[in-house]
Amino acid sequence: MKSFAAYISKYLISFSAFIVALLIANVIFFIWTFDSTIRNDYGYTSPQNMLEVVSESSTKDGTTEETEALLHAHQIWAIYLNPDGQIAWSYDTPEELPVHYTIQDVALFSKGYLADYPVFVWNDEDGLLILGYPKDSYTKFTTNYFSAKAVQKIPVFFIVMALFDFALMFCAYFLSKRKILKSTEPIIASIHTLSEGKPAALSTNDELSEVADSINKASHILSRQNEARANWISGVSHDIRTPLSMIIGYTELIGNDQNTSPASRERAQIIQRQGQKIKTLVEDLNLVSRLEYDMQPMDKKSVRLSKLLRSYMADLLNSGLPESYTIDFEITPNAENLVLDCDTRLLSRAINNLVQNSIHHNSEGCHIQITLDCDMNTAFFCISDDGIGLSSDQLNDLNEKTHYMDMDSTDDRLNLRHGLGLVLVRQIAEVHGGTVMIDSQTGKGFKTILGFPR
Amino acid sequence: MEKTFLHNKKILLVDDEAELLKMVSDILTNDDFQNILVAATVKSALDICQKERPDIALLDVMLPDGDGFSLMRQMRQFTDIPILFLTAKDEAADKLAGLGLGADDYIAKPFLPQELLLRVYAVLRRCYKEERHVIHLEDCMIDFSRAEVHRGSSIIPLTAKEHLLLETLARNDGKIVTVDTLCEALWGDNPFGYENSLNAHVRRIREKIESNPSKPVSLITIKGLGYKLMTRK
Repeated sequence: MKSFAAYISKYLISFSAFIVALLIANVIFFIWTFDSTIRNDYGYTSPQNMLEVVSESSTKDGTTEETEALLHAHQIWAIYLNPDGQIAWSYDTPEELPVHYTIQDVALFSKGYLADYPVFVWNDEDGLLILGYPKDSYTKFTTNYFSAKAVQKIPVFFIVMALFDFALMFCAYFLSKRKILKSTEPIIASIHTLSEGKPAALSTNDELSEVADSINKASHILSRQNEARANWISGVSHDIRTPLSMIIGYTELIGNDQNTSPASRERAQIIQRQGQKIKTLVEDLNLVSRLEYDMQPMDKKSVRLSKLLRSYMADLLNSGLPESYTIDFEITPNAENLVLDCDTRLLSRAINNLVQNSIHHNSEGCHIQITLDCDMNTAFFCISDDGIGLSSDQLNDLNEKTHYMDMDSTDDRLNLRHGLGLVLVRQIAEVHGGTVMIDSQTGKGFKTILGFPR
Repeated sequence: MEKTFLHNKKILLVDDEAELLKMVSDILTNDDFQNILVAATVKSALDICQKERPDIALLDVMLPDGDGFSLMRQMRQFTDIPILFLTAKDEAADKLAGLGLGADDYIAKPFLPQELLLRVYAVLRRCYKEERHVIHLEDCMIDFSRAEVHRGSSIIPLTAKEHLLLETLARNDGKIVTVDTLCEALWGDNPFGYENSLNAHVRRIREKIESNPSKPVSLITIKGLGYKLMTRK
């Protein structure tokens, strides 16, 4: 989810950067377009420059030929007015111009046009130099004044405007990010759920309903497939049960029949023991697949764990433990009245699987210890033996290959050689929100701690 | 085995699998049960039920013309004999459905013959008492129907709680019964903190049934777990 938020931020920030870059590009393009005109207006041929050049080479008596040539080249006419408004000299003036100018005339044209010719004036020592440019070559603003306050405000205006724009942009960024996240959050969360193989359900009444719809469909397909798989396993194990009952039943009858020869009795007992292994496998396989696909109905009740453990211990001892094994249990005083919301059958099954594992893996016999303990937040079942234990490699394997249906590796087939005992223990812990910790060393026994939040 | 009065009980087996029927009846006859009736369908099971009046029924859940649960419902209309389910489904839901109907027990296939027998015995013992329900211990004899301990020439009466406690233990002859189960049997569903009372009752019972109450041989403590009663075979 975080990575997605970062992705959106990145996207929106680059979008803003793009807008800024576009503005800068516009300015550059503007400068490039108007550069030549501006050069004209303010360069060598600009009125300002012309006035200087002409006034320098002129007096009230006339001007040089060079200057006249320059004026001619730029189609500019010139008038030199005496202080009293009489023309001292002129060059190339249009005929419609008057020969005498009053103060009013001067005041008017000095700001604007003289007979539609844009004119520029220069205050020379002995009079007024007037340059007239061709009609429509320049536009003059006759009302070019601003209040001093307005001019002073300009920099502040630009800074405030820029800040305001940035603030708006940030708001837009923040809101759109939130909106995108809000509408995509459930979708991404459900994709996560799907990737864990669990069903997801999304409401389909916002803009992204199409995506939500597809995810719901995918989830539906997934759960249907899971259901089909679990049903298939359940069907197979169901159909194995009846024949297996007969195999186990009859081999036990043969095994205990005093009229049968000892050798045959022993063979029957072997078949019976193997049959029992299949029995355990079939029972475990079905439960594992049901837990895996969330199809096991939980029968959670508030259970006193000490009672659960005593009841399990009594069952175990009543059904008889082979002679080479001893078992002991301890309930710490703290844990005596511990109550947990759990499925008794499943929890007993988890403990039993661990005990049976200890028996199964230590054919020479061992001592098994079960302890029920707790701290502030967690209830612990610790099931340990003093048997052969595991090497650190084997322990790593066990911790890594937590899943019998791991699809990561191609050559890893369903490995049932050691049964599904531990897989089931993990799943049972998981459906109770608990944890499984395994510790073992070669020759130093095997220890499993089941932790359940109180 | 000396449970002769139980062995005379009529057992009805209902399963559509002929070979399984045969095996279960083999297991039961091997253990000296005399009267075994078999049926493969709901219809024939009901017929036999009405004609033969069995004492206990073992039903399969899946039958060709219906299921075991509905068969049980129909049987319940005219008889309240104990009913056990025998089924290939081990799902918790089925289990609850079966027991919710008032079934007495539920045996999941595949089962061990020993397990089947134990459960049948347990249900029979719970439901049928001998006219004179008596058990023999190392040093005495307990007559449950009269709530008396016969030790040598003396007869010692049992209190109601002692009677209940001994009966619970006797039902699980030779097996450990946890303190929790015993407290529940004596004081009902939520027996927190009754352990001391239980100890007191056990002490008094020992004085009545053991020749040396400080070294009990019949009512044995299993440390931390519970008690078991050893009867004399």
